[in-house]
Amino acid sequence: MTSTATPPVPAIRALGLTKRYGATTAVDDLSFSVLPGKVTGFLGPNGAGKSTTMRLVLGLERPDAGTASVRGRPYAELETPLREVGAMLETRSFHPGRSGRGHLRCLAQSQALPAHRVQEVIDLVGLRDAADRRAGGYSLGMAQRLGIAAALLGDPQVVVLDEPVNGLDPEGVRWIRGLLKGLAAEGRAVLVSSHLMNEMAVTADHLLILGRGRLLADCSTADFVRRYTDPQLYADTPAVARPALLEEAFMRLTADSVEYATKGTS
Amino acid sequence: MTASDTGVIAPAAARVPRFGDLCRSEWTKIRTVRSSAWSLSAMALLSLGFTVFVSSALASSWSTWNAADKARFTADPVGVILEPGATFGQLAVGVLGVLLMASEYSTGMIRASMLATPRRTPILAAKAVVFAVVVFVSAVGVAVPAFLVGSALTSEQASTSLGDAGTVRAVLAFGVFMTLTGLIGLGIGAIVRHPAGGIGAMATLQYVAPLLLSLLPGSLAEHFVAALPATSGQVILSNGSDVNGIYPPLACLGILMAWTAVLLAAGFVSVKRRDVP
Repeated sequence: MTSTATPPVPAIRALGLTKRYGATTAVDDLSFSVLPGKVTGFLGPNGAGKSTTMRLVLGLERPDAGTASVRGRPYAELETPLREVGAMLETRSFHPGRSGRGHLRCLAQSQALPAHRVQEVIDLVGLRDAADRRAGGYSLGMAQRLGIAAALLGDPQVVVLDEPVNGLDPEGVRWIRGLLKGLAAEGRAVLVSSHLMNEMAVTADHLLILGRGRLLADCSTADFVRRYTDPQLYADTPAVARPALLEEAFMRLTADSVEYATKGTS
Repeated sequence: MTASDTGVIAPAAARVPRFGDLCRSEWTKIRTVRSSAWSLSAMALLSLGFTVFVSSALASSWSTWNAADKARFTADPVGVILEPGATFGQLAVGVLGVLLMASEYSTGMIRASMLATPRRTPILAAKAVVFAVVVFVSAVGVAVPAFLVGSALTSEQASTSLGDAGTVRAVLAFGVFMTLTGLIGLGIGAIVRHPAGGIGAMATLQYVAPLLLSLLPGSLAEHFVAALPATSGQVILSNGSDVNGIYPPLACLGILMAWTAVLLAAGFVSVKRRDVP
């Protein structure tokens, strides 16, 4: 490894990842890399396999074929997993009877993280007033913030968030946008899934588009819009407004992949 | 709500987590949910309540007992005093064991736990160690007052003292019985994953299986019943003076440990192999 031309180790790498549930193939021979210093948006219609892919990468499910690695190693082999990867999958991944602070304390102790990290992430996500209440009483937005606090607890170099803006108010959405961009600017890799096109258009630098478990596109957000929008519409749209075309581009690309598409409309 | 834009602060000392860190985490988990205190209080109340009830019933009806029953009591008064507390206390301990593991799955906490410990099995191992210590200490803490009350109530029928070697042995056996019962619950919780289903399976093993098996004809049924965890747990409280017992106390300890080992091992396999919900 003396060559200076060696490319950086991808933060996340999937190779031929495949997962079947009975006759359904949820993730089909998926290969991609997520690089540090960028927000990578994971887009796809419902049932496209976004969440399953994240769960395979994080070792919550076993692939039927293929491999996934995080910073060059399978997730299960990381010695300090929360220091390397912070993830929020489903929002409510905590015991409702425990306070937000208690939840974070359990996780910090299991990772030998210093106790003051708990208060730091509580402040970071703006959960100070609710931290000592039972988490079962949290609103969806507060539960999201607790999930994000847990993801950031270990100050990880890789952040994986599944639908983080779900349930957040406009102020919260804006906060998440700034947080994700800030994390990427610090050189971290950020993989975030969303079905909100406009949110992805302004947040993601890079896109991975999934349809029926297969990778349909892997390119920068700007390239994606240019490549898949109707050329006339693209030309007629001022540059500053082009991110808004993401939805149009996405719909054109995934028209075949939407599971319950209405017949006769295109 | 307001929050700074990013400003993620690097943690100070970085160190690879050890098993002791996981045990601290599991101790926090047990402490910070209400079901732990409820279940352990229920164990204390059930054990003490039934000890008082049975011991006072024994004392008041003593004159009507036949010689053989009287001889059985005087041969092992400590075992008889502690038995009702164990019979009912095991319910609360088994339920808590099931809940500790099954609620991780039912609430989604398991995702957070497994992301933090992707090797998975250390989670159950740390939980088992912490829970075993908590139950053993609580159970001995209940057995001592239960014995003292029962001993005082039956003082006219038999003379017993906390300082006797036999009493100490029985009190420790009470702690071991409750601890292994709790671990059986933990194993079942890891296998069944649903609190209600797990509690049902636990109660079936503890209370329904002895009844059903005792309906079978022949002496084989007696051996099956004697080899159930709840039955063998009762025997380890005794001093072995009961000549009608199928297996002696030491064999019953082995049987109870085997149940615990098998169900916990199955729990480990379930935690390690199955996909996380």
